[in-house]
Amino acid sequence: MVELIDLCKKAALAASRKKVDEYEVYMASSIHNEIEVFNGNVESLSFSDTKGIGLRVFKEKKMGYAYTSNMNEDEIDKCIEKAIENSRVTGPDENNYLPLAKDYNYPLQTAGRENLFSAKINELSTEDKINMAKQLEILAKKKDKRISGVSELIYDDSISEVAIINSNGFEDSYRTSSAFLYLGLISRSGEDVSTGDYFGFARCPQDIDIENIADKAAYRSVKLLGAKKIKSQTTDLLLDPFVAVQFLGIIAGISCADAVQKGKSLLAGKMGTRIFSKDFNIADDGTLENGMASRPFDSEGVPKGRTIVFEKGILKSYLYNTYTARKDKTLSTGNAARASYKSPPETGISNFYIEPSEKTVEEILSKTGRGFYVMDIIGLHSGTNPISGQISVGAKGIFIEKGEMAFPVKEVTIATDILSFCLNLDEVANDIKFMPASGYIGSSSMLVKDITVSGT
Amino acid sequence: MIEKKTAKKILDILKKSGGDFSEIFAQKRVSNNLRLEDRKIENSNSGFEIGCGLRLISKDSTFYAYVDSLEKEPLLNAAKVLSAAVSEKSKGSVLDLNERKSNYKIKVSSHPFNVGQQYKKEILDEMDQSARQYNSSIIQVTATISDMEEEVFIANSEGFFSIDSIVKVFTAVNVVAKKGNEIRTGYESLAKTKGYEIFSDKKPGDIAIEASRMAVTMLDAVNAPAGSMAAVIGNAFGGVIFHEACGHGLEADSIIKDASVFKGKIGKKIASSVVTAVDDCTLPFHWGSYSFDSEGFPSGKNVLIEEGVLKGYLSDYKSSIKMGMKQTGNGRRQSYKDIPVPRMSNTYIDKGKNTKDEIIKSVTKGVFAKEFAGGQVDPATGDFVFGISEGYLIENGKICEPIKGATLIGNGPDILMKIEAVGQDLDFAPGFCGKAGQSVSNEVGQPTILIGSITVGGTQV
Repeated sequence: MVELIDLCKKAALAASRKKVDEYEVYMASSIHNEIEVFNGNVESLSFSDTKGIGLRVFKEKKMGYAYTSNMNEDEIDKCIEKAIENSRVTGPDENNYLPLAKDYNYPLQTAGRENLFSAKINELSTEDKINMAKQLEILAKKKDKRISGVSELIYDDSISEVAIINSNGFEDSYRTSSAFLYLGLISRSGEDVSTGDYFGFARCPQDIDIENIADKAAYRSVKLLGAKKIKSQTTDLLLDPFVAVQFLGIIAGISCADAVQKGKSLLAGKMGTRIFSKDFNIADDGTLENGMASRPFDSEGVPKGRTIVFEKGILKSYLYNTYTARKDKTLSTGNAARASYKSPPETGISNFYIEPSEKTVEEILSKTGRGFYVMDIIGLHSGTNPISGQISVGAKGIFIEKGEMAFPVKEVTIATDILSFCLNLDEVANDIKFMPASGYIGSSSMLVKDITVSGT
Repeated sequence: MIEKKTAKKILDILKKSGGDFSEIFAQKRVSNNLRLEDRKIENSNSGFEIGCGLRLISKDSTFYAYVDSLEKEPLLNAAKVLSAAVSEKSKGSVLDLNERKSNYKIKVSSHPFNVGQQYKKEILDEMDQSARQYNSSIIQVTATISDMEEEVFIANSEGFFSIDSIVKVFTAVNVVAKKGNEIRTGYESLAKTKGYEIFSDKKPGDIAIEASRMAVTMLDAVNAPAGSMAAVIGNAFGGVIFHEACGHGLEADSIIKDASVFKGKIGKKIASSVVTAVDDCTLPFHWGSYSFDSEGFPSGKNVLIEEGVLKGYLSDYKSSIKMGMKQTGNGRRQSYKDIPVPRMSNTYIDKGKNTKDEIIKSVTKGVFAKEFAGGQVDPATGDFVFGISEGYLIENGKICEPIKGATLIGNGPDILMKIEAVGQDLDFAPGFCGKAGQSVSNEVGQPTILIGSITVGGTQV
């Protein structure tokens, strides 16, 4: 088997023969398994072993990009030529050149790479993985007799490798493993239907707690049977971590320097000012131990680190890749990110999270006299405009009366805007959960004061 | 791409340990993408992808493998590995391959491979200038052009193969307008299954101006109302509600999983009698159109709802067998890396009797939702949410102030019954739809329609 870094070297050698000022070869490979189980049967099983290469070239401070999934030498050559052709139409920019060591905000780490990959993932056969998924279905259906079926049960794992070589002498690679289980349940009571889902992930399937997934998915599905609309009103919201991370995701997006520099972030021009009325800390940590988005370096080879974005409620830093950092005359925080080898690096989060407190969600609940415990939201993508800050999403959950869960609620919306959300964020509990987004986002349950709920 | 003889051999190997169906999906794709932002071309990107997906179905199970190659050896190897997933008593059969033809044929006059990146740059520059000249409050313009040329070869053990070539061009403009502390955005797109002749239908500048008009209009928006009221849904992209809240529930896989509110409702009245809805992948040049679906089945027109009565579901091969219904040509996939699933193509509510003016005039108090930012639905319950990106208050039959930060929330089956009027101004809008982790091109469409009562999620209680 050819090592990825060797393939990368071959492409780099080909690129070095071309008339370009600088080049970068980014390669990604992935061995991927996906299993879908339905009614005790394997609905589908998919496996693959694939590679791709993305070539970035700079000529006269103009960038060109091209990619291919074909590792044939001629094809790679064609791909480099295409990248050069593409560089001819892009706008020149003095900050457009490859990262240098002096652009790094954090030192290169050699430790911690062993945490990114678990060899245990190779110990399970496909049969074992199928059984694990089937086991989850059996467990879940036993949780409550109102559970009528599974809407989706997916097991997914992959072993991925990334290698980067650039003409500034950077040459490195790392390997990661991950396993993911997702369960969606449908429950019924008379004519009423309700759905709920949950998931688990780890570096290897053995570390996923399937009992917990079954429990949580069942609870989330059954709990909302018999839900009804409520009257439109302004009330306090207690957000489940599952929901809280989705709101935090909006804040993560507008913390990225490219959004700020392009006038697409409400955080533009607010450096050093108070955004949250309470003293919350929010960080992006690409070196977080056990963090699923932790990496030794970002997608242009810049070392990862821990960047405090909000300290005691005050905006302290944006998240930078090399290009945006130079524009702001600062250093790259190692936040260059790409969706795949098919695109050049932009900016993106790693493990982005709000620091938990020591309060339990029960303590927070008991002091919330009246409010709405939000268990799920839908339409966040379409109902939120991260640029204008408007948020209006569909929600379901349980109404809180006298500090206790009173009755289930559905078909209502919650509406606010990002900055009001930050100002009204009152409490963060101690039950932090991470959820995959473009990186991983972590939050505990949140209490947000005075939000409009729209119903009848 | 793949010789008939080789294809037959691969299909044979796939079924060597049994199985009901084997299939090859081979694809070559060349794509180009150009993005303008901050008044300059920021990204110019091209891609070459080749690959092949192999599928084996045995009873209710699908086994799938894909490789980044169209060469014989890796494909034969992958087929061998995949065939081991099944162990039945006897070998499966493969019929001799005959080419399947489609009635849907289009002619492309300006192929992307003949169009240089420089030409596309000029289009994007024109969009940037037109958007900014529209109004001084425009502070950012992002414009993209993507094109794609694709060759697809599909063959299966039922004895069919198909060859297809696909050309697509997509362009979109996003603008940001700012006045004081208020920031608003506007969006407009144009996308067709044809070449660069799309710009003879619509000028790049006009697309950009439409995006600017929307952002600038919304700068003066007032807070949206909260509560139940009448809603007039605009034509074209307004059809996204039907797509999300009803269309997905009519895809046969959700029926099989008992995850659809439309299960067992064929022949029953599920919508108000003014509603007729159709999925048609043969509308010439439309963004969701194709000659063959991703299983090599010829495209067609399928009536979903006729005068309020449910007529049919959208199926792929597997679901049609399972449900004992006809295959509708809606088995679609994002690429060779994906297993096809039932998907919509161009889905719309058909023309009705009323004019848009009549519909607006009939509303005493409500909202006019002209454009949406998209939406989401839970197909098992039919509950949906849509973000309104351009909306207005309606008072005493007149369109009044624009409103900001509003969504519509409701339940698909419930809303279908509450459609009180359907206009004559049927139009379409292109987009991308995500399902099972795969994104495919779709069009939504409808005339202006009136929903008697729906929850509007604003901040003004």
